[in-house]
Amino acid sequence: MANIAVARIKREFKEVVKSEEVAKCHIKVELVDDSFTSLRGEILGPPDTPYEGGTFILDIRIPETYPFNPPKVQFLTKIWHPNISSVTGAICLDILKDQWAAAMTLRTVLLSLQALLAAPEPDDPQDAVVARQYKETSDIFSQTARHWASNYASAPHREPVMDDKVAQLKNMGFDEHKARVALSTHNWDIEQAMENILS
Amino acid sequence: MFEEDSENEVEDEDEEEEEEEDDFVDMGMDAEASGTHPKHDEEDFPFQVLTADEIVKHMVDCIKEVNTVVQIPATITRILLTHFKWDKEKLMECYFTEDQDKLFSDAHVVSPFRKSFTPAAAAQAASSSEIMCEICFLMIPPTELTGLECGHRFCWQCWREYLTTKIIDEGMGQTISCAAHGCDILVDDQTVMYLVTDPKVKLKYQQLITNSFVECNRLLRWCPRPDCGHVVKAQYYDCKPVKCKCTHIFCFACGENWHDPALCRLLRRWIKKCDDDSETSNWIAANTKECPKCHATIEKDGGCNHMVCKRCKLDFCWVCLGDWEPHGSSWYNCNRFDEEGAKKARDAQEKSRHALQRYLFYCNRYMNHMQSLKFENKLYASVRVKMEEMQHHNMSWIEVQFLKKAVDVLCQCRQTLMYTYVFAFYLHRNNQSIIFEENQKDLENATEQLSEYLERDITSDMLVDIKQKVQDKYRYCESRRKVLLDHVHEGYEKELWEYQDGN
Repeated sequence: MANIAVARIKREFKEVVKSEEVAKCHIKVELVDDSFTSLRGEILGPPDTPYEGGTFILDIRIPETYPFNPPKVQFLTKIWHPNISSVTGAICLDILKDQWAAAMTLRTVLLSLQALLAAPEPDDPQDAVVARQYKETSDIFSQTARHWASNYASAPHREPVMDDKVAQLKNMGFDEHKARVALSTHNWDIEQAMENILS
Repeated sequence: MFEEDSENEVEDEDEEEEEEEDDFVDMGMDAEASGTHPKHDEEDFPFQVLTADEIVKHMVDCIKEVNTVVQIPATITRILLTHFKWDKEKLMECYFTEDQDKLFSDAHVVSPFRKSFTPAAAAQAASSSEIMCEICFLMIPPTELTGLECGHRFCWQCWREYLTTKIIDEGMGQTISCAAHGCDILVDDQTVMYLVTDPKVKLKYQQLITNSFVECNRLLRWCPRPDCGHVVKAQYYDCKPVKCKCTHIFCFACGENWHDPALCRLLRRWIKKCDDDSETSNWIAANTKECPKCHATIEKDGGCNHMVCKRCKLDFCWVCLGDWEPHGSSWYNCNRFDEEGAKKARDAQEKSRHALQRYLFYCNRYMNHMQSLKFENKLYASVRVKMEEMQHHNMSWIEVQFLKKAVDVLCQCRQTLMYTYVFAFYLHRNNQSIIFEENQKDLENATEQLSEYLERDITSDMLVDIKQKVQDKYRYCESRRKVLLDHVHEGYEKELWEYQDGN
């Protein structure tokens, strides 16, 4: 990897480790191996959001041309959010694309992602199903997002009704994650969700 | 100006002569190349063909010209000119009549008159011995940091990498801004040339700037032929044929092959129509119906008119698209033709079916001529063989030239005919359009006959006879082509043509 990229990442590590957000356990970055090309990020779900208290793991890949091109970031933790694919974890965020600037850092990226969790942009969606739910039935969206966060990101607030519905389908022999996706997609209507899994 | 033009005409003539000897085979689509196109067009429309170097010179001249008036650094002038799409007059007008600070900020440059401005970073630079470059995060002596007038400073190495990435990977030229987040101040040419050391990157940057210069300028157009690299410079913008040094003939206004009699805008619409899959949706509209309830698309491939939608289980009548129930048990008849909603659905169906057929009619003929035109490439080769053969049969070189001339005319006629179908597709029917169609038919017949003559084997005993016939025919074709084009042009002038919308 180019010298600038390695030197930058090394120094950025120090910056993130020293920053006050780390002190408050809000964000974290770790090396996956010694190559500095593949990193693990972690952000805490921001307060007063369905993601509150959850820990979200990110896969961060540093391109050869970093910092002149943005890092490639993806959610490894499954998440229900209009700008993040519920299937792949791909993120739709301007600073990770054309609005990237060389003076931005991993710290600013992680903080921006945290801000994105707090303020979704449904008009520029990555996951159309989630975005529609966010716009049309925001209550169901919040509950669904909280349910996902409690199950996948160990967030403390559970959604018992939804947990029950997933358990119901699971007991019928369906895969838990598939059942959750189908229920979430069909606004928690058990019959529609089952029809969807079976078709 | 005048001198340059007259020079150019001389050059053009030279080239035409050369061509008749050399470029015998590969003329295909450039049927007009042999110089038989109505001469008045070229005289009416003076143009020059410039090389890449001449374009750069032209660009520098433009900048100098503005600079003699506005007197600001040349690199800023270039950015301002780009901002105004190289419209010098507009730049000067705004410069002297409007708020200059606003002008500079709209063009994303720092005003050269704001001398008192001291960037925060620069102030910091003076106070501390080493400061951190915000890109590589290394501590760097202030003398090794550099930046634009906006005051954001980074180290040389980072600037170089940043510019290289933008230029090579992203193909950006005149739109590269300062590397700081949210700063929209544009990087000027001098800075790029100063910071970038790799000659390849420099060259690419120059090409990008030249390209934006040509693309923005209404009086310049790149020759659209792949790898040509010449630019045609005209004195005014018009839909006229221009011939590049590489012999390619194209329309100055739109860059497509010369497309008389069709207008640029209609040709553009036509090409888009042929390219995109709007015809797929037309086919769907013409051959399928939608379920009146769930709007599933249904193609009926057999059976009776009692339809049961597979998706929503609705029973309906294929003929009238109404509910099936009132049809009772009469499975093969529908007597409910006059119902309002069903009638509308049927009318729409009918209309799109007709539109599809009409499009296919014109498209087939257009494609057919285009295809034939490609085949005429081969004809050039076979005609050359014939010409050599004839020279063995006591005919002189000059006597057999009529064959090549005939293929030239054939190609011209095919190209014109091809575009007559684009013209006709958008034409609304009136008396003049009937005359046009007659002309088109006549030219098409004559062209096909000429084509047939040229395909035929020529034996020595019928040589004199065939020569007479071919010559008569191509002269006839030429005159019919002229009649057709003159009629269309006259129609443009007198506004006789009415166009169909919505195609």
